[in-house]
Amino acid sequence: TTGNKIFHFGACRVSMSMAEIRAGFTAIKANIQARDPIRTLSILSYPHSLHKVKSSDRCCITHHLLNFYVGKVFKHCKTEDLYVNRKISSIANSFLSMKRKLGQCHEQNRCRCGQESTEKLKQILANYEGLNVTSAAMKSLGELDILLDWME
Amino acid sequence: SGDLYCSLLNPRNVRFESVNMRNVLHWSAPEGTGNGVLYKVKYSVYGVGKWIRKPECRNINITWCDLSSETSDYEEQYYASVKAFLNGMFSDWVETTRFNPLTETKIDPPIVSVSSTDKSISITLTAPEKWKRSPEEESISLLQVYPGLQYNVSVLNKKTKKRWFFSISNHTLVVPWLEPGTAYCVSAQIHVPAPLLDSGFSKEHCIATLKDK
Repeated sequence: TTGNKIFHFGACRVSMSMAEIRAGFTAIKANIQARDPIRTLSILSYPHSLHKVKSSDRCCITHHLLNFYVGKVFKHCKTEDLYVNRKISSIANSFLSMKRKLGQCHEQNRCRCGQESTEKLKQILANYEGLNVTSAAMKSLGELDILLDWME
Repeated sequence: SGDLYCSLLNPRNVRFESVNMRNVLHWSAPEGTGNGVLYKVKYSVYGVGKWIRKPECRNINITWCDLSSETSDYEEQYYASVKAFLNGMFSDWVETTRFNPLTETKIDPPIVSVSSTDKSISITLTAPEKWKRSPEEESISLLQVYPGLQYNVSVLNKKTKKRWFFSISNHTLVVPWLEPGTAYCVSAQIHVPAPLLDSGFSKEHCIATLKDK
């Protein structure tokens, strides 16, 4: 689609519609983040920011985070606002497409998971499971810009 | 007997205004209040959540507070909050939305300098610097913050009114095959593709090519 850009994650190269995802998230960011009253915890940044991750682990973490969002986040983010729901499903579709593309590279064993990325992913899941599903999903969705900032 | 206390209306429109990552908290006075209202400010890092008071913005009567120092790590996100008080009455704490300096700062136009020969002009562009605490502190160009930063350059032939646009990644541009003895005006804008950020265009810098030898 227009606005696709090639992203390099280690040995994997994936074309992604990041601008589209960004625009979709920016449109609902205030609405989604307002639904997350918990300031003391971040799913993606606690205790350490994603930005501290080594570049060699980028591919593995991106692959698993795409799976995380597609598998655990979007489906639990229904709201009473049709406009917001439409934006969420559009972002979810883009993530699904990215997940498939990166998954192919992961299967060709070119997306290695080091010990640091495994630890980081465990921490993210622990943060997520520390909250009830809806709160955890809404918080994760509200942190999408943290993920996009890091991916870009 | 219950304690009697009067509450003051809340400060309004509490938000961050950010330019080149100089992050300043702004708000409007509670409705209907004239002078004499004082304010205090606190902030927190998202994911840490502990509210931290800003001593320099305690008991202030102005409606802004510079939190650039406290929010200078642009890999983090922040909240800030303001409380008003007047004659023993006080408002609630009123919070900003979550502030992401990386995607919400505004970027100033680039600095443009031009020189000319008889048939070309050379343009040098400099991205603004990230806000810093003091002049002695090491300067960080926004180019380091946004590695994908590009420049959109407009060149206008003042005589024919013909205009060219260039989109470049490096900071110099030579425009060849121009008419000798002619005035050209240059203006430039910063474009960051990810996250999408655009500065305004700089004011025009005009220069004449040298006359034919």
